[in-house]
Amino acid sequence: RGFPKYATLSISIKRYPRAASAIFQTYNDLLLAQQWSEIEIVDLPTCGRCGFRGRRPENPNTRTCVVPCSLAETISMTWLKSAFGEFEQPEEVFLAINAEDSSIVYYKLSTGITKPPV
Amino acid sequence: MSSVNQSQSRGNSSQKKGGRKRNENNVIYANPLPITFSRVENRFTVTALGIFGISPARLLKPQCKGTFDPITRSVWITDPKDRAILWRRGFFGKGNLSRSEPSWLVRQTNIRTAVGRQTTSEEVTAKRRAERKQFKLDRARGIAAAAAEAESAFAEGRIISAEETKALIPSAATWKPSPSTQNVTLSFLEQYQGAADLDAEPLEDMEHMQLTFSEAFFLTWALDCLSIRRPNALEPMTLPEIWIAFQTTHLPPHLQAYSSQESILRPDNPFLLNYFFFHHYRSLGWVVKNGFAVVLIPVYEDARDAESSPFSLSNSEPFTWQWLSTINRVNSQVQKTLVLSYVTIPALSRVSLTELTSPACFERYSIREIIIRRFVPARMRD
Repeated sequence: RGFPKYATLSISIKRYPRAASAIFQTYNDLLLAQQWSEIEIVDLPTCGRCGFRGRRPENPNTRTCVVPCSLAETISMTWLKSAFGEFEQPEEVFLAINAEDSSIVYYKLSTGITKPPV
Repeated sequence: MSSVNQSQSRGNSSQKKGGRKRNENNVIYANPLPITFSRVENRFTVTALGIFGISPARLLKPQCKGTFDPITRSVWITDPKDRAILWRRGFFGKGNLSRSEPSWLVRQTNIRTAVGRQTTSEEVTAKRRAERKQFKLDRARGIAAAAAEAESAFAEGRIISAEETKALIPSAATWKPSPSTQNVTLSFLEQYQGAADLDAEPLEDMEHMQLTFSEAFFLTWALDCLSIRRPNALEPMTLPEIWIAFQTTHLPPHLQAYSSQESILRPDNPFLLNYFFFHHYRSLGWVVKNGFAVVLIPVYEDARDAESSPFSLSNSEPFTWQWLSTINRVNSQVQKTLVLSYVTIPALSRVSLTELTSPACFERYSIREIIIRRFVPARMRD
């Protein structure tokens, strides 16, 4: 039920050891806690990690993109722009910020200035 | 008269409810640490031995088992009894799919069965967020209505007073969730249930509890109630093995291959700093968690060590005013006092390699605390 994916995930974990913890924890959270479906692993070589694309239960008609990172990292605008590029320019990307104790906070990043919905 | 009696009895019953919940919590969370003392029934023995300063009560140490995971730098606890003991006696650990206490299985079961729900903290938060969203929608509608009203009044040449405008816009203090809000959250859950009903196989608990290295080492070394093993090993790891393994995971990947060389051990290893900090505050009775309002600031005794260090420790550079102001403001908003904790790292030249192979090296570290509060002139009385 998603277990075959762990084999593909372990390839990414070995390829990007510095981001391994964030990758693994984010994948587990999306699959089991956030209950996303059809999660695919997207390679983001410029960002030194892999990201994910899948369907949220609240929004099953679009594919949402997530890039994992850890709280201790500093990331630049160039890094974020390349993430958008490697996901083929979606409207928005979620940044999954992982803490050492496995807490994850998701920040929504949009291209350009976007007014909040309410 | 009768109405006064009614309100009194209502007040009493709600007090009883609150009191009962509090008493339950006092029973569940009675022990501050996993170790407990056995009860001794014979009062005569207790008193007799007490004269000699001896207690017949035995120290009971639960033997919990954990698995070492270098990728997430944590120790996993999977056995449900061990998870409960460690959480309830000292709030050790965190569920990897939950906000704090492992509650994933409960939440998944709640989604599948509407009857007999046990509310979890995540569900309370979700409900609060849905209500807040509804409030924002109502407020936006109110603002739009007020604006339309103002436009039409302007066109007619009327004047609308400020009070009338305010009356159209709901305020956070007086807004109440309408029955339609509850229907929205319910229908969302029903959607979930519809999908989940198709999957009627029994739920396997996919969540584990995660202990940080500091918590795990504290439980193993200081309290001796946890044994840690590598994923496919039969034998638990020995304390020296754990000591080295925990430090090795903090090394950058290219240095980890040399982990058997003891020259890799350095006093500024993040594990040593985090553990020293954790042990200090745990011994004072605090429960140390991520997001704690005490900031660890490492201070190098010898500046050359900072340059030769393979770790880039956060907060070791002098901090900027922006950083301090940001941290201070965020902590004040969540009503936490900011404490800066300066941990001094002994110079490599002063610490011998033998000391670094065991917790004896902690004697060389020291800690100083500085409390910072915002001074807001408008709110100070003098």
